[in-house]
Amino acid sequence: MSPTSRRYRRTACTGLALVLPLAALAACGGNGGSGGTSADAGSGKGTISVWAHQGQKSEDGALQSAVKSFNSSQSKIKVELKLIPGNDYTKTITATDASQLPDVMEFDGPTMANFVYNKKLAAIDSYVSAKTMSNATAGSKAQGEIDGKHYGLGMYDSGLGVYGNRKLLDAAGVKYPTGLSDDWTADQFTAALKALKAKDSDGKTLDLQENNGYATEWGTYGFAPIVWSAGGSLLKDGKAEGALATPAVVSAMKTFQSWKTYVDPNTDGNAFAKGRVALSWVGHWMYPTYSKALGSDLVVLPLPDFGNGPKTGQGSWAWGIGADTKNAKAAGAFLDYLMNDTDVTAMTTANGAPPATKTALAASPLYKQGGPLRLFADQLAKPCGDSDITKSCVAVTRPVTAGYPTVTAKFSDALNSIYGGADPKSALEKAARAIDQDFSDNAGYKIP
Amino acid sequence: MEPVDPAPAAPPDREQSPPMTAVKTARPTRSGPRSGPGNRPRNRDRLHGLLMSAPAVAGLVAFVGIPFGYAVVLSFYNVRLGSPMAPSFFGLEQYRRLFTDPDLSGPFLRALLNNLTFAVVVVPLQTGLALALAILLNRKLKAIGLFRSLFFMPVVFPMTLVAVIWRLILARSDQGLLNSALHAVSFGNWGAFDWLGDSATAMASVIVLSVWQGVGFQMVILLAGLQQIPGELYEAAELDRATPWQRFRHVTLPGIRGTLVFVAMLTSVLSFRVFDQVYVLIHGGGLDEDATRTVMYQAVTTAFDQNNIGQASAITVVFFLIVVALTLIQRRVVRPDNED
Repeated sequence: MSPTSRRYRRTACTGLALVLPLAALAACGGNGGSGGTSADAGSGKGTISVWAHQGQKSEDGALQSAVKSFNSSQSKIKVELKLIPGNDYTKTITATDASQLPDVMEFDGPTMANFVYNKKLAAIDSYVSAKTMSNATAGSKAQGEIDGKHYGLGMYDSGLGVYGNRKLLDAAGVKYPTGLSDDWTADQFTAALKALKAKDSDGKTLDLQENNGYATEWGTYGFAPIVWSAGGSLLKDGKAEGALATPAVVSAMKTFQSWKTYVDPNTDGNAFAKGRVALSWVGHWMYPTYSKALGSDLVVLPLPDFGNGPKTGQGSWAWGIGADTKNAKAAGAFLDYLMNDTDVTAMTTANGAPPATKTALAASPLYKQGGPLRLFADQLAKPCGDSDITKSCVAVTRPVTAGYPTVTAKFSDALNSIYGGADPKSALEKAARAIDQDFSDNAGYKIP
Repeated sequence: MEPVDPAPAAPPDREQSPPMTAVKTARPTRSGPRSGPGNRPRNRDRLHGLLMSAPAVAGLVAFVGIPFGYAVVLSFYNVRLGSPMAPSFFGLEQYRRLFTDPDLSGPFLRALLNNLTFAVVVVPLQTGLALALAILLNRKLKAIGLFRSLFFMPVVFPMTLVAVIWRLILARSDQGLLNSALHAVSFGNWGAFDWLGDSATAMASVIVLSVWQGVGFQMVILLAGLQQIPGELYEAAELDRATPWQRFRHVTLPGIRGTLVFVAMLTSVLSFRVFDQVYVLIHGGGLDEDATRTVMYQAVTTAFDQNNIGQASAITVVFFLIVVALTLIQRRVVRPDNED
């Protein structure tokens, strides 16, 4: 290579380096101007696109057949359903510009505030029928409400519990609770694990759904109840400092950390169903699988009490209307259809969730008085909301704030490292500082 | 590229030993006319060269240059993904936090260190292993194609799939494949070990699976290099009664020096990109995040889990500069003799 061409190359490079930032700025300006968004009622006819998360096979099937029967029930509206893998679903919506989002989309409850803040969701009140609204359960309505407007409705709610294998519990002589009133304390829970370990060939007696990872939403949803039950909170008056890393929460997290020796890593997802462990800490969604595997040996228990009463997470996937839709009327008609008893029942049979409509809940064989999942209904009947966490309420909604992505990312990171052996106090304090820093960077995420 | 010289000491002399006068008279005639009329064809060469590299350069500008410029700009702002708040100018705040805020700089510096560890271990390991495999598979055997494709197979699988499989191998229960194999081999003396969760072995596990997945690629390139070496050289070496080691040292290695340097550079650039395996293993549970967090992982999670684009841009900018610096140093150190 000759020196001249090298020199030429250098000038070209310098030129490029100087031009690039300008080009980048021009690119910025290009897509920055997406002014106000507002849903257009449209004609109520035509094709609407729908995004949903891909969950368990049975759930996907229930949704697909609901869409199919909607399409064949009338000829005016055609629904095109697109399933997106659950792990990346929220990220997909976050990274998609509002104008590219579908007419109807599913979203995980706690992410709703962020999508409203980002102008990605339209209020559904004027598009969904009054009948549908009045039939929604109080929990479902509360989860979807911001400033008096509703942005989402769920087909089902959610709850956490500990599933037990009656045969293994009895064989180890472990006494287990019958309901919320005689719940295990954390110490009793640890003692039960110890007793079970003595009878277990590999010493692993607990499943904490480790295969889902803890640096994920599962980490926050599954284990924030430990924080609440210890009298702490993820966020209090928009601040994490002073709420998340209290001495009680730190000691509760130490207990959680100490369980690792009892935990089956559950790499194949079958630890409980195959009888390798006696206890499984997971949500309602495993009920269909577990009851099929264990039959009448399956018992459903509340999560252990860390001092402030047993707590569970609440809130689940919900449906909303994209802020940029040109066919909100048709979208509303589809939502009305999804909330009918047949589809809600089919979906909740598929995933074992408590129905989020009054009529379907009343008819549910699983959740009625004496039903096998009555415990979940009992928990949801004592809602705390997202900030008023007292000793007597049970079902806590995750913080309804546009800053939730940061809250859950920081908390689940801390949880993951605590589980891996980090010092709970410093991990939680670090998470609290990071959350507060982020909220102050964003003026508290006030929804404009 | 003809690096094949059986006697490395000979060639340098050959050019210098001819009478100096000849060189002196030859030089001006060759390079003298540069400022004269002979300039034309050179100019045209340059033009053709530019034209031919234009598609590649355009791609580079569009997919590397512009995004990077964009990242530099974004790193000076407080930008949130999809936030209705207008991006506000932040100055060097993002960089200040990355280097001085203990909560942020701790994980970031750790991620940098992890990346460096990964590269420092993987580059020699993977290059050496690829060379060994290539030599092993560079024979005239029946069905050698089958063996070669067997070793190449992991490269065909996407890293995410490989990571999912290795999750089963490295599972911490006694039912993990590795643990149960060790259990059997040690006559039951090996208990369950937490390969991914223990900070001492987490990075090692990631390295092993990365090398296993990637080594086939380097092997194929080296294999091609090995097959460029003329057989006569080996015959000559054998006639000179060179031992196998001497043949490797004085025929094989010089013969593939250029290829080897290329492979080492490629491996080091690839090894800075490590992300997929860490991401999949963390989300699959049980991976020690601190011990395996890489800069790419941190950038992606900051941008897309926490929607903090400004911070993530700052991370990538710092990382880009470090990688460019390291690559330049590496180029200087291992530059092949025959580049010009």
